[in-house]
This record gives sequence, C-alpha cells and structure tokens, in this order.
Amino acid sequence: MKSFACSILLLMLFLGVAVLEARQSTVYASVVSTKLFVVGAPNPQTGLFYQKTSDDTLWQHTGRNNIRAFGVDVHTPSKGNVLCIASGNGVHQSVDGGKTWKITTGWRITEVLSVAIDPRAAKTLYCSTPYGVYKTTDGGTTWNERTNGMGTIFVQTVTIDRNNPERLYCATEEGVYRSEDGAGTWKKTGLHVGGVRSLAQHPVNSDVLFVGTDDFGIYATTNGGKYWEKMAAGLDHVAFYTMVFDPTNPDVMYAGGYSTGVYKSVDGGKSWQRMNDGLTNLNVHAIAVDPTNGNRVYAGTMFGGIFKSENGGTTWRYAGLSGAQVWTMTVQPF
Amino acid sequence: MKSLLVFGCMVVLCVSGASAQMVDRATYLKEFQQRVKYLETVYDTSQSVGFYQIAARYKLNSNIRQADSMFVEALRVPTNDMFWMFPVIGAYIHGKDKMSPETKAVVRNAWKTYAPYRGDTENHWAMYYSSLFLAAEQWPNLPGSEWYNGKSSDENRKEAREYLFDWARITTTIGQGEFDSPDYFAEYAISTILLAQFAQDPQVKQLGSMMSEYIFADFAAEHLDGQYLGGFSRIYQPAVYKPLMSTASGFAWLYFGTGERTSSGWIMVPALSGYELPEIIYQIALDRSKTYIQKERKRVRNVIRYGNEKNPPVYKYTYVTKDYGMGSLMGGILQPIQQHTWGVRYTYGRPYTTIFGLHPYWSGMELGMFFPEEVKTLIADVVASKGTYNNPNKWTSASPFERTFQHKNTLIALYDIAPGTTAEHINGLFPRNLEERIIDPSGWIVCKAGDTYVGWYPLQEYEWKEELETPANALNDGGRPQLERVKETGIWRLRSYKLQNGYVVEVRSKDEIGSFERFHAALKKSVPKGTMKPGAVSVDYTTIGGEKMHFRFPEERKLNGKVVDLSKTKLFEGPYLHAEVGSQKLTMTYKNKKRVLDFKTLTVTE
Repeated sequence: MKSFACSILLLMLFLGVAVLEARQSTVYASVVSTKLFVVGAPNPQTGLFYQKTSDDTLWQHTGRNNIRAFGVDVHTPSKGNVLCIASGNGVHQSVDGGKTWKITTGWRITEVLSVAIDPRAAKTLYCSTPYGVYKTTDGGTTWNERTNGMGTIFVQTVTIDRNNPERLYCATEEGVYRSEDGAGTWKKTGLHVGGVRSLAQHPVNSDVLFVGTDDFGIYATTNGGKYWEKMAAGLDHVAFYTMVFDPTNPDVMYAGGYSTGVYKSVDGGKSWQRMNDGLTNLNVHAIAVDPTNGNRVYAGTMFGGIFKSENGGTTWRYAGLSGAQVWTMTVQPF
Repeated sequence: MKSLLVFGCMVVLCVSGASAQMVDRATYLKEFQQRVKYLETVYDTSQSVGFYQIAARYKLNSNIRQADSMFVEALRVPTNDMFWMFPVIGAYIHGKDKMSPETKAVVRNAWKTYAPYRGDTENHWAMYYSSLFLAAEQWPNLPGSEWYNGKSSDENRKEAREYLFDWARITTTIGQGEFDSPDYFAEYAISTILLAQFAQDPQVKQLGSMMSEYIFADFAAEHLDGQYLGGFSRIYQPAVYKPLMSTASGFAWLYFGTGERTSSGWIMVPALSGYELPEIIYQIALDRSKTYIQKERKRVRNVIRYGNEKNPPVYKYTYVTKDYGMGSLMGGILQPIQQHTWGVRYTYGRPYTTIFGLHPYWSGMELGMFFPEEVKTLIADVVASKGTYNNPNKWTSASPFERTFQHKNTLIALYDIAPGTTAEHINGLFPRNLEERIIDPSGWIVCKAGDTYVGWYPLQEYEWKEELETPANALNDGGRPQLERVKETGIWRLRSYKLQNGYVVEVRSKDEIGSFERFHAALKKSVPKGTMKPGAVSVDYTTIGGEKMHFRFPEERKLNGKVVDLSKTKLFEGPYLHAEVGSQKLTMTYKNKKRVLDFKTLTVTE
C-alpha cells in the first residue's frame, strides 16, 4: 500500500515537473538603446536581452553590445539554437544558442530593421532595411538584394507566411507588398497608405493580416491583402508600431505605438480598448504574448524598459531594462 | 630641455602662424616639420592617458615603458566606436615593434572583445573601414573567433577594402555626401592619411594617398586664412560663427601654415604619420592673388524616406578673394541638423569672421528622411547629442523653405515658410566686432569688417537683438557651457518674423570698390524689388556691378534675362580644380603645373 502511495506521489511529482517544464518559456527583447545613444560616445548596453519567464526580473545579455538592435528572430524548431539580430551593423547570427556570434552581412547591408528565419530551413533568412529586402539561403554566407517589383524602398519588417514559406509580406513606407516566390518578385497589395510600421498574421487563418501605420491607424485584411479595411472602433490614436495576436486565442490581439500605451481587442480586432493600468511609459514599440500562457504579456517601450502583465493586460508592472528603447520582442516556448 | 624645445617651437610657430605668405617648397617643408615637432612634443610630454600621447611616445621612441602602461590603461574600458578604432590602430602601428609582448596582447585582445559600432554617417564609415582594414592587415590569418564581429581577418580586410574603393568611386563620380564640412574634414583626412601611410596593400595605399589629395584639394580651393569657405554639409556651433574653431582650421595650420596654432588631437594622427601634402595643393590653398569663382557638385546624404531620389545633387558656389569669400548651397534640405547654407567669411576680426543668415528649422520629417528610427521620437533622439537642434535660436540648419541664388559676390536668399513651421522666423548673424553696422534709410544694413564691406538688404521688417556671450548662453552643441567664450563680444541677431521673406547680400573688398563710403553710396542706388506673398516670393535686383538677377522661390533663377541651369554644374569647376560628373578624375592646375588623380586607373600623373 505504502509503495503504491509512493508511486502515485512520484508520478504526481514527475507530472508536476513536466508541466512546469512545459510552461517554461524564454522572452527575447532587442534593444536599440538603453537611455540615450550617441554614435561614437560611451554608450550604455544595447543589443539582445533574454530571460526565462521563471526568472521574472533578471535579464541576460547575449551577443555584442553597442549594436543598435532593431529586430530579433528565433528559430523555434531548433529551440533557439539559431538566433538572428537585425542591427545597425547588419545581421548578427548565432547557431549555438547565443554562445558565439557573427555579423553575416557586409558593408552593402546596413541599418537592418528586421530579420526573419524560415522555420523550415534555418539557413534561409530575410532582412529588411531602408534600402529594401535581402535574402540568403546559405546561412548568411551570401546575401542578395530582393527588391524586384518593389524597388529600394524603406522596408520596416519582412514576415514569412506561417503556412507557406514562399509567401512573404513586407511593411514598407509605401504600403504592404507580398511575394509568392520567396522574395523573387514583389507585388503591392491593396493597401495604399504609407508608413506601415508593423504586420501581424493570424495564428490559424494566414489570410488574415493586421498592420499598424505611423499616421493612419490600423488596417486589416481577410484575404491576404486584396483589400483592406480600417479598424477604428475604440482607437483614439494613429501611430501603431506593434501588433500581435495571442497565439493561444486568436480573437485576442494587442497593439501599441506612439503615446498609445497598450490597446487590446477580444473580438479579433473589430474593437479595441486601452489597457494601461500600471504602464508608466505609453510609447510602446513591442508587444509579445507567451505562447504557453496567453495571460502573460510583455510590452517593450521607447526609453522606458519592459512592462509585464500576468492578466492579459488588465494590469502592468515594470519588468526591467530601465531606460531601454525596446524595438522588438518575442516569447518562445522553450 | 623638453620644455625649452616646446618654447622654441612656440616662438617659431607663433610667427609663422600669424600671417600666411606662400613660401617655396624647402621653406614650407621646414616650417611644416617645425609644426609637426611642436605637436609631437606637446603630446610626448603630456602625462594624461590618451592614444595620441601613447602614439607620440612610440613614434619618438621616448619612454616606451610608460607608453605601454598608458596603452593598457587606455584600453581598460574601450568606448567611442570608430573614434576609438583609428587612434588605437594608429598608436599600435607606431609602437608594434617597440611595445612589450604583454601590451601587444592587450591591444590584440581589444579587437576581439570590444565591438565598435559602424555608425550611420559617411565619416563614421570612413573611419571604421580604414581602421578595420589596417587592423586586419596587422593581424592576418586569424579566424572569426579572434575578431569582435566574428569575421576572419581575411573577411574583414576584403569587406573594408571593397567599401573604401566604393566610397572613392561614388565620391569621384557624383560627389561626396558629407561634403565640405569644416568639422568633419578631420575624420576623412585621418582615415585617408592612415591608409596612405600605413596600408600594406599597394592599391589601398595608393587609394588612401589619392583620396587624401582629393579632400585636401577640395578644401584648398575654398580656403582663406585658415577658414573653410562657402556652404557646408555639417558644422557645429560655435565654429559656425567662430570659423577658426573648426577642426579643418587645425589642418589648415598644420598643412597650409595658416590660421592659428593648435595642439588639437585631431591633427595628431596625421602629424605623426609623416604624410606630406603635394606642393600644388599648398599653392592652391595659399594663392589669393586673383579673385575666382569655384563651383562644385556634391550629393545629398542617403534619402531613405520622403523622397524619390537616393542622392540628389547639391550645387555649391563660392566667390573667393584675398580678403573674403562668399559661398552658398542652393538651399533646401541637403543634410539634416547641421547644414550651413550660405555665409560670408573674411580675414578681419578673429574670432568672429563671418556674416550669414538662415531659417532655423527642425522636424521629425527632416530627420526621418535620413534616419531609420521612428519619426515621432527622432527629435528627442537627436537632441540627445545635438542639443541645439530644436532651438529656435540655433545657427545651423537646413530648411525646405529656404533657397539661395548667388552670382559672384551677390547673394539672394528667399523664404516661403509654411505657417506652423518650426520656427516661424529667420535669423541673421552680425558680429559685434564689426567696425561699422549702419542702418541706412534706404533699407540697406551696411557693414565694415576691415577691408571687407558687406551690405544686407532685408526684404521684410525685422528686429535686432544684441547677444553677449555669457556662461548661460554660451553653450556648445552638447549643451555644455563654453566658459572661455565669456570674454568675447558676441553678436547682433537680426530676426524677422515674416513667413514670406528674404534678403539681398552684396560683398566687396577695398580692392574691388575702393572706400567704404563708395560701397555705401553704390548700395543706396541699388534697391531690390521684392514680392512677398505665400506661394509667390520673388525678387528682382540689379547688382552694384550692374547685373540683373531675378529669383522666384523656389527654383526660378535668371541672370541678365537668361535662365541659370544649376544641373550643368560639374564636380569641380574653377581655376584650380576640374572634374566632370562621372569621370572619377580630378585635375589640379596651378600656373604651369598640372596633377591628375585618375581613380579609374588608380594613378597620379603630373
């Protein structure tokens, strides 16, 4: 009887640990600057920071300091062994989980604003810059300009379609472009507003896209970009730098931008409500939702560090990186 | 003994720096070496820890052990990116055969562990890649794990080499982007001189030598008494109204023997390098026996938003005499933040040797044209390092609401400012040390600066504000007090709040027109006729030389009834420098001498 009880106890302990392990995730934040950054001056630490969600306030730095890190992408299938940072200096890449790094781009690629790793082929990378899009298929050994149909325009982000790695979207100064052939050619979608800053794709239905713009609010499409509709209900601001879906519940979305704080939608983006209790910096440039716990949300601010909510944005508390200008965040399920 | 030597050098140099007469090559080289010696001795004896002090000790073989310990100390916490790279590699090259193995290892390790940022301007990249090239040559065959960026020595050397050649190509094809900057001249000169003197790759060495000549020749043709003349892409306050404070003036002292003696660290790396300027460039810089017009074409810094052209052309016009120079860019936003669109500079009244005007403009849109960060927060970003950017009293600015039209020594500036623009006024700077500043009933403001006479005709009502320099207002671009300026006299600020605005400026020297009274009388007979309505700002003016100028904002310029086509401007056209757009070739001429820099063949011919 005793041994049976012990077995049950051990089993429960094992399952408990397993559950805890399953819920462990890692938050990554790319930081352009901590406090004010001046090229050629003694600057505080910038670059890529990360923390295990269980650590709560302790942020670790990986890679080089002082690089003005705009974007970050993490290769989920390799559990973060392949990591890329989009920075002023180019694309920094690690293939050993952040132990060593290399700038894979040369002098022709600069001020890289975002980077995307093909989840099915980790050696295929895309990056966006003020001069267009570049692609590598050999892990960064060679990069090629991919601007056919788009020109060398300012591209804020490049996003790989979650169901079709040959389909890509770019948020640009001149609207949204789509490629169906792995960036071989680009076509402008039906959106004709400029200054597109962010792009979010629905976790299930990849034809549903939302974009945030610098001056024209939020637009959405349900058909892969053929036509777009402006989302206005509940929105009192126009500049949105970040938009994300809750991967655990696609009806839940978050958006943030210039002086907005965090907006939340619980009806798939039809209507929005500000959720700023405890958020002391309202210039939000990055939002990320924990895929293992949709109530855990992070907001990266401009010059105010990171804030965290454990209740789906109802309340926020400061979570570290004082003074940081956080550009991009992602939470990975490992 | 050393202090006696310094004193001796100072006596010699005070004399040689006071006035600039052209001397023969032998005398020039002797005086140049005296200036180098002065600098070496200043830094060799300085006890503060710095890379220039270290480099001087290695170069002079003086107290190597102290140099070693200074080097280790200086590398303890590396900062400052490319401003760290060039003095470190410069000091290392001077000392590599003299320093201890331990010091050598510390230097090497610094290039493995400290990651300098590449920066976002042309001068940053010139310093970054020239230093990286030299470093990769010094430490060849190392794997990526031994370098801060994960690239091998070979990868770094190849990347730097490719960029440097491409920079030279674009500069000699459509012009320099961060052009004619009195304050950033140093960054280019240091980069190219380091390559010229220390690159092992013979082609890169030749490229460095030729680009050094190119930028020095560019300066020389617009040089007067230690000052850079004309419109500039970038200049700081207070150097914009105290021209000899610019770093280019330090180079003028070292290489031309003009201006004022300085021990600025900016000229230390070139001074130690052994680089000598070709005689023809020195002669171009010094010979002001004849008045001339210098026209140049440059390019706008990379436009990444709000524009259709990546590098639109910049047209520059400079009128040069032995007493003054007046120069201008055609106006508009050509460089963000620190543009100097036009100015008169003269040889009288140091340190305030200039008169100029501007529209003090700032906006997120202007910054968003050139910087990739978010437009709505860019102003705060920029003000962090350029404290005067959003100050309505600032003295450097580009403005989309400003255009100029210059012909010889007459300039017209027009403004059609949109309501709500920051700022809704224009400013003019007049030094308080002018001998005369007469407000004539005709409307002309008539100024005398030694043998240079300046007339300024405002096309709208204005006010004067006297601004004495005090610690409170004597701030530099970093917002820090410039206490040494308290003793100086300050300026008169002309301010006009009319949004449709403009002025005509006439400049003559005593040699050109005779007495100041005669200049004054001539101006009274030449009153401009302006139209100042929104969308219709124009002026018709007959110069005191009798030439008819018509200028309608923004781009309608007519001279004696003929349209002026700026697009035909060459890269260089003047009596001394000639270069066609796209040619990759610069021809320098002086009297019967000719020197051709051909960047396609990487050759210099005479």
